Amino acid sequence: MSARAAGGIGPVSGDGVIVARDLTKRFRRKVARSSRLLQRLRGRREGDSGGTPRDEWIVAVDSVSLEVRPGEVLGLLGPNGAGKSTLIRMLSTLVEPSSGRAVICGHDVLEAPAAARACLGVVMAGERHLYWKLTGRENLHYFATLYHVPARAIPDRVEAVLERLGLTARADELVERYSTGMRQRLSLARALLHDPPALLLDEPTLGLDPQAARALRELVLELKAEGRAILLTTHYMEEADFLCDRVAIIDHGRIVACDTPAQLKRRLAAHRLFRLELAGLGHDPERLRARLGDLSVVSAQEDAEASVTRLTLAFSNGRHDASDILQVVFAEGLHVLGFSVKEPTLEDVFIAMTGRALRD
Amino acid sequence: MRAAWAVARKELLIMLRYPTWSVGLLVWPVLFPAGYVFFGRALAGPAGEGLAAFEARAGTADYVGYVLLGTTLWMVLNSALWMLGSHLRMEQWRGTLEANWVSPASRFGMLAGAGAAQVLQSLTLLGVTLIELRLLYGLAPRGSLALMAVLLALSVLSVVGLGLVFASLVLWVRETEAMVFLVRGLFTVFAGITFPIDVMPPWMQAIGRALPLTYAIRSLRGVALAGWGWDQVKVDALAIACFGIVSLALGIGLFRAVERMARQMGSLAQY
Repeated sequence: MSARAAGGIGPVSGDGVIVARDLTKRFRRKVARSSRLLQRLRGRREGDSGGTPRDEWIVAVDSVSLEVRPGEVLGLLGPNGAGKSTLIRMLSTLVEPSSGRAVICGHDVLEAPAAARACLGVVMAGERHLYWKLTGRENLHYFATLYHVPARAIPDRVEAVLERLGLTARADELVERYSTGMRQRLSLARALLHDPPALLLDEPTLGLDPQAARALRELVLELKAEGRAILLTTHYMEEADFLCDRVAIIDHGRIVACDTPAQLKRRLAAHRLFRLELAGLGHDPERLRARLGDLSVVSAQEDAEASVTRLTLAFSNGRHDASDILQVVFAEGLHVLGFSVKEPTLEDVFIAMTGRALRD
Repeated sequence: MRAAWAVARKELLIMLRYPTWSVGLLVWPVLFPAGYVFFGRALAGPAGEGLAAFEARAGTADYVGYVLLGTTLWMVLNSALWMLGSHLRMEQWRGTLEANWVSPASRFGMLAGAGAAQVLQSLTLLGVTLIELRLLYGLAPRGSLALMAVLLALSVLSVVGLGLVFASLVLWVRETEAMVFLVRGLFTVFAGITFPIDVMPPWMQAIGRALPLTYAIRSLRGVALAGWGWDQVKVDALAIACFGIVSLALGIGLFRAVERMARQMGSLAQY
């Protein structure tokens, strides 16, 4: 059954360059024939009349809707196996959706896949997506032809992306001699050859050293500033925080939250930690608790040598903030040596939304 | 067309980056038929008295030429078939299939480019082989070179269609070895590369008649060794052309179906 027929999805409106509506992908996990036979034989021997194992349907992506506008970076944040890559593959026409609809620059990926692909620059996860026995320049010449860059424009276009990605000096070396970071940059150079309005970046900084990852992130911000719509998958929360205008948290194929990183973290006001450093020893944190009922003491340490007490406090609901604590502290006549607030991270948000850590 | 040319150029460039390929190109065309040639010499007896029996069956006493033409065609068409058949598998193995398929280029155009690169390699193999066989075995075709070129072109067409069929099957089952051995075995035994097929039992001859290589070998042998003209080879040429048309149509249909199935199963990148 076609995705359109199954989904009954109406026309896609809005100004999204990359649009998904109720996109779902189910895969059949086949039970090996040998396992079936073995199970059947075992069942007979043990007098078990139970059925033999059947094929299972795995839902890799479950009714995902999203929209990426020009000049926006939308991050898909989730652990391995959450469905990020399957979603990217559906949007790039490599995997056919089971239901729902995906549209790139107004082109439905099922009805006009070639037109959709022409609008897309794709960087797949991993470094094997280039020809290692060709030079960087030869790779780009080859892919420029596949992306319908006019023959006369190819040398200039290739030179321009090589220059932009800082690969000119090594352009005539075989890719097998490149570092992981250079290969990743070459993949991005390839994705930019035809100047696409939409980019799909699947784990673009995976395996890169911190310096290379940082350079690539800065480039992504440049591409965003040029007005490109960028959908980026990552399981690095710092990357999502740094790069993305909005972050969609995906788990078990479903988007469980989608908002700006700041808004997502604001939802977890209760996870904000207040660190207080007080002069002297023997302070009783319960006196503070008595004044602010929903305050909890996460930890209390005394440094006898420095004659300092360090308290880590939190509110069980989000109604109070830092000024409430300071008011109470000053009212108690305590001498404050230091005060800081630790905001919740996207990882905290992820754990709160899914009940597990990003790297589980 | 541009995609086809880009793929052909890329494949040839990659091939040139593995220079040991040239060793195989030079050595194999001479070694492969040598075993059959010496076997024939042993069977013919010290004075070649057994050749009369061979001539009665094969229509020529030139068993060396007979074997050389058979093995040469087998090598050329076999390499074209398998290089094209395993092209998508090779792209999966390299990890580049998805990178190609997220581009807007026509997938048939890309496959045609791979086919063109394989045909060019096969023609290079043919050229080198003919030169070596002339120098080492004294092989000198008698018939029309133009007619041989036409027959060869038709044979290549049928092999490209079969290659497309196998490229699709390989994408489906994600394994090439079993099919390589099966079809290579069929071609080696049933197409009569070193003997006339009528020495086989009738059921084996029937299988031989279902293989395009049988007609290609028979007609090209006739032209090269016996100087046959168009009238004598037109039936074989028609058979080869029919094989080509049917296998191309089958290949295109199968490729479309398997490519769709691979997208539904999400198995394009799996190997």
